[in-house]
Amino acid sequence: MELVEIAGLLLLIMMLLLAGGVWIGMTLAIVGWIGMAFFTGTPPGKNLFTAFWGSNASWALAALPMFVWMGEILFRTKLSEEMFEGLSPWLNKVPGRLMHTTILGCGIFGSVSGSSAATCATISKVALPELMKRGYDEKMALGALATAGTLGILIPPSITMVVYAVAADASIIRIFLAGFIPGFILMALFSGYIMWWAWRHPELTPRPDPPTTFMQKVKASGNLIPCTLLILFIVWVLVAGWATATECAAYGVLGSLAIAWWSGSLTWRNFLDSLMGATRVSCMIMFILAGASFLSMTMAFTGIPRALAEWVASFALSPMALIGVLAVLYIILGTALDGISMIVLTAAVVLPMIQKAGFDLIWFGIFIVLLVEIAEVTPPVGFNLFVLQNMTGKDSNYIAKCALPFFGCLVVGIAIITVFPITVTWLPDYLMGKSK
Amino acid sequence: MRKSLDFLYDAAGYLAAFFIFAIFAVMIGSTAMREFGLRTGGTDDLVAWFCAAGSFLAMAHTFRRGDFVRVGLLLEHLGERARHRFEMLSLSVAAVFVGFLAFWAGRFVLDSWKFNDMANGLIVIPLWIPQMSFVVGAFLLFVAVLDELVTVARGGRPGYVIATEERHARGDFNEDV
Repeated sequence: MELVEIAGLLLLIMMLLLAGGVWIGMTLAIVGWIGMAFFTGTPPGKNLFTAFWGSNASWALAALPMFVWMGEILFRTKLSEEMFEGLSPWLNKVPGRLMHTTILGCGIFGSVSGSSAATCATISKVALPELMKRGYDEKMALGALATAGTLGILIPPSITMVVYAVAADASIIRIFLAGFIPGFILMALFSGYIMWWAWRHPELTPRPDPPTTFMQKVKASGNLIPCTLLILFIVWVLVAGWATATECAAYGVLGSLAIAWWSGSLTWRNFLDSLMGATRVSCMIMFILAGASFLSMTMAFTGIPRALAEWVASFALSPMALIGVLAVLYIILGTALDGISMIVLTAAVVLPMIQKAGFDLIWFGIFIVLLVEIAEVTPPVGFNLFVLQNMTGKDSNYIAKCALPFFGCLVVGIAIITVFPITVTWLPDYLMGKSK
Repeated sequence: MRKSLDFLYDAAGYLAAFFIFAIFAVMIGSTAMREFGLRTGGTDDLVAWFCAAGSFLAMAHTFRRGDFVRVGLLLEHLGERARHRFEMLSLSVAAVFVGFLAFWAGRFVLDSWKFNDMANGLIVIPLWIPQMSFVVGAFLLFVAVLDELVTVARGGRPGYVIATEERHARGDFNEDV
C-alpha cells in the first residue's frame, strides 16, 4: 500500500471509532497501535508504555494542572460580580452601554483564566441576569457572551495554548505573549460591532442607569483591584523572568487562593472541590495527550507525515491557499470535536506541512487557537453553546444563531492576523528577542 | 462490592489530587529557595513525576465521573436500544485497549525493577518507584472499564453517563475546557 492510502485507512478507522463513541484518548492510541503493528516492523507494546509515560511525566506539562486549578478557584469566588460592578458605571455613555460588560468582562477574566467554557460561564452567571433585568436585547447578549467567552483561550494564560506548545514543542511563554494583541483586536471588533448595532437599533438599548459622579465611579472601580493585581502579578512574574512559564502557573494559583481568601470564599469545601475538579480536567487532557503522543510516534515510524506533506506540496498550493484549506478543515473538524482533541489530532501531520510552507509555529499556534474559538460557538458541538443553553434553557442552535455576527468578527480577526502576521509576532519578539 | 470499588477509584483520585497539590508546593518552594541562593536541582524531575502520578492515578475516577471526552454526536441521537448496543461496543473496545495498556505498564515496570534501571537526572532513585503510578492507574482504569461493561451488559446505564447528566443539570460546566 502507498503511504497516502495507509493514512486514508487509518483516518477511516479513527472516524469509525470516534463516531461509535470510543473515548478520544483511547481512539488515538488504538489507531496508533494498528498503524504500528501492521505497517511498521516495530512491536507496539514497549512504545506504548514509553509514549504514555514520556508524555505525562513532563515538567513543561505540569503548568496545565496549575492553570486549570487557578480557573477552578476563581470560578468559586465573587470575582465576576465585582467585575460587573466595577465596569458598569463607566459604560453608561458608550453606545450599547452595559452590553460592553460582556466583552470587557470576558477579556479581563480571560487574562486570569485559561478555559473558554469557564470564562463564558463565570461572566454569564452575573452579566446575563443583570442585563436582562435592565431590559437589554437577549439575542445580542447571548451572542456576545458565547463568543467573547472564547477569549479565555486566546488571552493568556490558556490551557489550549499549553497543549499546542507541548504538541508543537514550541515555547509556552512566546505563545502566551503572542496572544495579547490578537486578543485586543478581537475585543475591539466585538465592541465595535456592538456600537454599530446600538447605533442602528437605538430602540433596543434601554435607558442608562442613574448617572454617578466621577468619585462614585472611581469607588466602584475599586472592585476591579483584586483581578487587576492578579493579572499584573502574573504578567510581571512572566516578563521579569523570575519564574518560568510553568512556575508562573503555580504563582497564579497562589494569587487566586489569596483572592479567594480575601473575599471570604476560600472554604475547605471550595478548596477541595476546585482541586478535585482540576485533577479530573487535567487527567482528561493528559490522557488525550498520551494517546496522541503514541499516534505521533507511529506516524514518525511510518513516515506518513512526510509523505502527506509532499503529497500536499505536489498541488503547488500557495501558502495562503494552504492556510485557507486548513482553516476550512478546522472549521469542519470543530463542528464535531473539542479544541484540544482537534489540535493534538492534527499536530503530527499538519505541523510539518506548515513549517515546510514557511510559516512560523508561534503564528500558527494563534491561528489555530482562533479556529478553536470558532469551534466553541459552532453547532452541533460547541462547548460555549452548551454552557449558555444550560444557563438559559434556550436551544443551542438558537444561541449559535445569536452568535453569528460575532462569529463573523472572529473570521475577520483571522483574516487580520493572516494578512498582518506582525500583530502576532511583534510582542514576543519585542520582549524576548527574535526567535532563532 | 459496589461501594468498595467506588471507594478505590475515589481514593486513587484523591491521591492524584494530592500530587497536583504537591506540584504547586514544590514549584513555589523551589523558586523561593532559588531566591535565597539554595540549590534546587532535582525539583524538575520531582515535578515531572508528580505530574504523571497526578494524571495516571486519577484515570479511573475521571472515567467514572464521565469527564473523559468522546464524540456524543451520534450516541445522543440514538434510541435506547441502539444506544445500549453502542455503549457495549465502545466499552468492549476500551476494555481490550486498556487491558493491553495495563499489561504493558506492568511488564515494562517489572523489567525496569529486575534490571534495576535508575533515573538519570539529579535524583537518583530506581525508576520503577515513580513509574508505579502508571501501573496502578492503568490497572484501576482497566477495572473501572470492566465494571462499567458489566453494568451495561446487565442492562443498566453506565455511571459516566449518569454522572455527566447530573453535573450538567447542576449547571457545572467547569470540566468542559
